[in-house]
Amino acid sequence: MSPLNSAHEPKLVAADGTLIPDGWRLLADEDTVGVDEPNVLGFDRALNELDGLNGKYGVRVNPADDVRKLLPFIEKIALIEVAFPGYRDGRGYSTARILREEGFTGPIRAVGDVLRDQLLYMIRVGFDEFLVKDADPQGAIAHAKSLFDYAYQSAADDLKPVWQLRQEAGL
Amino acid sequence: MYVYDQFDHAVVAARNAEFKDQVARRLAGELSEDQFKPLRLMNGLYLQLHAYMLRIAVPYGVLSSAQMRTFAHIARTYDRDFGHFTTRQNIQFNWIKLADTPQILEDLARVEMHAIQTSGNCIRNTTTDQFAGAAKDEIDDPRPWAELIRQWSTFHPEFTFLPRKFKIAITGATRDRAAIRVHDIGLQLTANGFDVYVGGGMGRTPHLGHLIKSGVPGEKLLSYLEAALRVYNRYGRRDNIYKARIKILVSALGPQEYARQVEEEWASLDQAKIDAPYAEIARIKSFFPEPDYTSKAFDAAALERAKAADPGFARWVRNNTLAHRRYDHVSVTISLKPTGLPPGDASSEQMDVMADVADDYGYAELRVSHEQNVILPHVAKADLYDLYQRLDKTGLSSANVGKITDMIACPGLDYCSLANARSIPLAQDISKRFEDAGYTDKIGDLQIKISGCINACGHHHVGHIGILGVDKQGEEFYQILLGGRADEKAALATITGKGMPAEAVPAAIERVVNLYLELRTDASERFIDTVGRLGREAFAGALHEPA
Repeated sequence: MSPLNSAHEPKLVAADGTLIPDGWRLLADEDTVGVDEPNVLGFDRALNELDGLNGKYGVRVNPADDVRKLLPFIEKIALIEVAFPGYRDGRGYSTARILREEGFTGPIRAVGDVLRDQLLYMIRVGFDEFLVKDADPQGAIAHAKSLFDYAYQSAADDLKPVWQLRQEAGL
Repeated sequence: MYVYDQFDHAVVAARNAEFKDQVARRLAGELSEDQFKPLRLMNGLYLQLHAYMLRIAVPYGVLSSAQMRTFAHIARTYDRDFGHFTTRQNIQFNWIKLADTPQILEDLARVEMHAIQTSGNCIRNTTTDQFAGAAKDEIDDPRPWAELIRQWSTFHPEFTFLPRKFKIAITGATRDRAAIRVHDIGLQLTANGFDVYVGGGMGRTPHLGHLIKSGVPGEKLLSYLEAALRVYNRYGRRDNIYKARIKILVSALGPQEYARQVEEEWASLDQAKIDAPYAEIARIKSFFPEPDYTSKAFDAAALERAKAADPGFARWVRNNTLAHRRYDHVSVTISLKPTGLPPGDASSEQMDVMADVADDYGYAELRVSHEQNVILPHVAKADLYDLYQRLDKTGLSSANVGKITDMIACPGLDYCSLANARSIPLAQDISKRFEDAGYTDKIGDLQIKISGCINACGHHHVGHIGILGVDKQGEEFYQILLGGRADEKAALATITGKGMPAEAVPAAIERVVNLYLELRTDASERFIDTVGRLGREAFAGALHEPA
């Protein structure tokens, strides 16, 4: 775990900077799945049970989980939570980006060791909700978005890569 | 060379503003060292044994004279009047005060430089052939491609928290001077696009890279790299820092399986969105034209007269110049390996002189080589003697390029908190042992590479003679390796028996060298070729004192 800002109670904030209520609940293995309740299923449970469930659910994806395995059930997924057990573990960035490339349009939420200095990168790869540990979560989002006006590479956000801006400007 | 536009300037300015704020918070006590550490490491600022060290990126080793002069200014103003050129073609300053770093970064930004991604588990500075754009054996210029990769990899949002650092090298020539087979990714530019080698590296478990794909078109390079990095980011080991480099993944999966996964990932990517179009590649290429070559008349007879009159100059021309694609030019290597001084160090005065001679004789351009020397890639033969005399006045005329005293050495225990043993003093002792120019020239091309610990920053695995410092019950000991090379015939050196104390090393090397002189077919058979012909075992015995 990073010591950075980690002492703060995590708060849920959206990429546009608004605080949002968290109605979702991560189910423990022994909990039963409620129909159309805001339940988050563990990854393996989702793979085993989503086929037989009706309604929409959240799924928790850990760093080692291959998110592409969820694609057959994507219509039943209303939220994906990507876990960051430590801020140095960057697998979740690929997870989010793959989800966006595969056309998932629902919310992707970063949970775990989510710190202000990662937010810009997370926004760029397709995250739009953050359970962030920071004294000022809204300020953290605003700060992250203020850092760079330009990006050199295209990712999952709507920033045009610099090469495209150059072309448009006739440079 | 590449010139920043408004976008490049904006990216660096934004990062510097952010770091300035972080330094202010650290100095005010709002951030602890533990909190500050991951932030400073994203800006190339390390806390070493005695002080902060700032590592500045020299993109693919290419420098303007104005940039070199800024290094001199930094050395003079903020450090102890010297800087250290690294094996990553970068420069580092070892005695930096934290409070000075924002101003240093501002000084650097003025000459289009920064310290971004010179540390951390991200894509580091891409390195290339120090003779790019000048060498006779070049198929295509690697610099525009290195610049394309620099931009693509800068703050890449998916690859900022990789399992471990990631190093890419490119060569565009038939002779590999960029050591591509010992990089995480090595790119060989061919007439049909890029050959991609993956999984090379040194460190504790050295590997040579495997060819996983031939002929990747230039316009598809970035998306292919993106796929290669994504497979690594997802599946590279994160449980053990010493098994986290891509070489371990490629070796565990097997190169074919790794290649298959990359291919699958590549097919799934929206390549058109990722790959910069040809217009952008052409724009970058336009920054690397041939220099506006001077039309100074070259008088071959005058050059021969100067060489005859000044044997030091003759030796310097023989050892430190490389044939250029133009008949009336050469590439000059300024050796930063004088006898008895730390390899790769240059004083502020020397940096100023290098900048001045680059302006006067070298089209204002310099390079840093991974051998820790500085290169003037284009020098008119007519200017050689003037250039030599100017360099000679400031201790920059060592005529030992490629020779036994042109060693690579890591900073070692004198600076580095990881090291087990000192590297620099040993390099100094060896250079004194082989001080005699006639002896050194007789030995010919021989690369010694010294690392102060198994992390192998001094590239000992690919030294013709490699030296590895180890800690043996609290004492510094050195293992000697033989037979490594990092060129197009890359091979890993092997350990040759038990270690020895520092004071025994120079004599041991001398015994091996003398045996080589006895055994070589003639003077044209280099040390590494004799070792190749007779086997490493034939030389291992000579390392140890006869009983």
